[in-house]
Amino acid sequence: MKKLLTGNEAIAEGIIESGVEVVSGYPGTPSTEVITSLIPMAKDLNIRVEWDINEKVALEIAAGAAWAGKRAMVTMKMSGLNVAADSLCSIAYSGFTGGLVIYVADDPGTAAGMTEQDSRYCAKSMIIPMLDASNQQETLDFTKIAFGVSERIGGPVFLRLTSEVAHVASDVQYEESIFKDKSTPFFERNIAKYSKAKALFCMNQHQEALDRLEEARKIADLEIEIDKIHYEGKLGVIVSGSPWMNLEEAISKYKLKLSWLKLGMIYPFSQKTIKSFLDKVDKVLILEELDPFIEEEILKIAGQYEKKIKIMGKLDNTLPKVGNYSFDIVKKALETFLEIKLENEVSQEIVEKAKNLEVSRPSSFCAGCPHRGTYYALNQAIKQLKYKKEDIIVSGDIGCNFLGANPPFNSCWSEVSMGASIGIAQGLKLAGIEKPVIATLGDGTFFHSGIAPLINAVYHNIPLTIIILDNGWTAQTGFQENPGTVDLNEGKKNKKIELIDLVKGCGVKNVFLTDPYQYKDTLEILKEAIKYKGVSVVISRRECALQASKRKVSLPKYTVNIEKCIGCRKCIKELACPAMSFSFSKENKKGVMQITSACFGCGLCKSICPTGAIEVIANED
Amino acid sequence: MKTDFYFVGLGGQGIIKLSEMIAHYGMEIGEKVKFYKEVGLAQRGSSAHGEVRIGDVFGSRIPPFSADVMVGMEFSEVLKGIKFIKPEGIVILSDRKIYPIDMMSEIEKYPKDEDIINLLNRQKVKLIQIKAAEIAEEIKFPKAENIILLGVLAEIISLDKVVLIKVLKQHVPGRFIEQNLIAFDRGVDIAKKYCN
Repeated sequence: MKKLLTGNEAIAEGIIESGVEVVSGYPGTPSTEVITSLIPMAKDLNIRVEWDINEKVALEIAAGAAWAGKRAMVTMKMSGLNVAADSLCSIAYSGFTGGLVIYVADDPGTAAGMTEQDSRYCAKSMIIPMLDASNQQETLDFTKIAFGVSERIGGPVFLRLTSEVAHVASDVQYEESIFKDKSTPFFERNIAKYSKAKALFCMNQHQEALDRLEEARKIADLEIEIDKIHYEGKLGVIVSGSPWMNLEEAISKYKLKLSWLKLGMIYPFSQKTIKSFLDKVDKVLILEELDPFIEEEILKIAGQYEKKIKIMGKLDNTLPKVGNYSFDIVKKALETFLEIKLENEVSQEIVEKAKNLEVSRPSSFCAGCPHRGTYYALNQAIKQLKYKKEDIIVSGDIGCNFLGANPPFNSCWSEVSMGASIGIAQGLKLAGIEKPVIATLGDGTFFHSGIAPLINAVYHNIPLTIIILDNGWTAQTGFQENPGTVDLNEGKKNKKIELIDLVKGCGVKNVFLTDPYQYKDTLEILKEAIKYKGVSVVISRRECALQASKRKVSLPKYTVNIEKCIGCRKCIKELACPAMSFSFSKENKKGVMQITSACFGCGLCKSICPTGAIEVIANED
Repeated sequence: MKTDFYFVGLGGQGIIKLSEMIAHYGMEIGEKVKFYKEVGLAQRGSSAHGEVRIGDVFGSRIPPFSADVMVGMEFSEVLKGIKFIKPEGIVILSDRKIYPIDMMSEIEKYPKDEDIINLLNRQKVKLIQIKAAEIAEEIKFPKAENIILLGVLAEIISLDKVVLIKVLKQHVPGRFIEQNLIAFDRGVDIAKKYCN
């Protein structure tokens, strides 16, 4: 039977078919949808699925389950793997009795922003086998294989996808049968295996991790044949991951005669398979996105040969290290490699002309977004305290709140990683920046990694203003819940954590709470917080407007009184609200300002209109 | 055989829903399917596009100048598809225009109709322009612009309507099925007139 599944949904299907009992993770594009697609089914399937506070905690939870002999999966994007790395490395040394698969999604081409980090190097540095799936069917198959291998070797296995596999859907063959583990959870007390208390323990564990790696390779070669090989001539392509799909397209479209080796397990490499492939070819093209991870290995092996094998890839600049590999890039690399022209160049002139005509649509806050009010008030507070905007550094953070860097607000100066806004701000102060430094971050980001740097700022008594834009959700990745989310779902036992208590508990004396829909109050509070000579925290709290509308929260809407409107467009220029529309008409030379049905009712435009032309629509009831 | 569909518009218009229905249509008729959707950061008003490949395909994305059909839900956004539509391909284009917020005071900067049409003509496409906004207004269902275009698409490239309606019913909320079917039929009718 077949289903239309994205790579992420295929992993979810693989989790179900593999009888996994615990699934943990932290949202991060392009990895998020594994857990979001499992959550609605979790109860019926009797799988514990949860979003955790950050990737490190999520990994520890999944590892704990594997220590008790169960199958567990943890999901994250490449940036999250950095967060989880400390614990993961230690757990990879110890091993376990259950099965643990770490799903990590890399993002060549940065569909979602962030670095183009290549997580394959983590497999090498942490001594963990890694599978790299090249399409959605393989993703489902590899998920099941990964659990099998993990359980056999007693150590973690990485499953890696890139955005192109994670987010694209295709027809996937699935099975009804589900693996059932009937064992009772059991964790054996074994200090030599599960602690790092002696040098001898650590070195023994190191050796065992290396042995597991070798064992995984043996299973992959002898029992699964995870690397696929095809011989057709002396020209060969070595490929892994999503570029495979475009290679296959090119082979079919241009009827190419090529030998190819598709690597499924990309760490550790199969020396035997690679050697038998190199035996039969004279010239090789390495097709892999991001760093020359495979290419370096192939060069090493090819160097042992007496015959000369020409290796083409990134190191000779046939292919780029940056961005994802579109069909065009693959086609051009094949043209260089095969020394033929596959297709006549189509004139790019029309494409260029179209590009020049395109309308640019900068991302802005949604209609009713509470962050709009916070950043507007912050800019005004800076102005009213007689600072120049260009003198006040606002250290931004990951999430929707960073849209405050875009026009018309132009508030944030930098974005690093989850929670980093606070630490960076401290460093700027220590460097001697005398004017106030402000850090802005969302509630989800604060819970994830903002608490430790906040405590650090209080402990060292660094004068800082930290604004937590608390919209109650981990919104940017698609509205996941976090410990501050209002608990609305029936039957849930989750306990809500109050941010005010948490911040006070970190030792902050000056904590303010404001509602960004109340412009004047927010402005005064921000001025007071910025003037304070210690750590002050402003919690700017209002639920994400998109989530609030989904929950049927309804506020009075606004309209423009055309008689009073002078057509100055202050509202549209300074707030950039998608619910506002402006047009010229023959009858009305000053232009017609309108508020559309997209209005959520935040009322910010009313607060700033110089002529009082924006009015509440009288309740129709 | 393969058919590549390129869908382009803005977030909130239902362009992704439209692509999704065509992808599921491909599954229903038992073909191989590849379905990509651009997931933007902003929820509304930023560019959105979908790619559906049905039949004998391997790559997950449509190679340049290979799309057999393009459906544009916002007039100027169709420019983004020009590098994908194949010469002599079919373009179904809604006349709906949505100005970005920073252009509101300088609407004249929005590209001229004839400039866009000109580029499409130079690609020798078969252009079908639809007043989707107006029709949606007429049938008092402003959300149905995408379904009107689905009807047009179904008629122009002869999709199996029985299968497509089955898929449509699975993808819209129950209480809106009747209205969506009306929108679909209107799209089919307009396309019929267009062909005559």
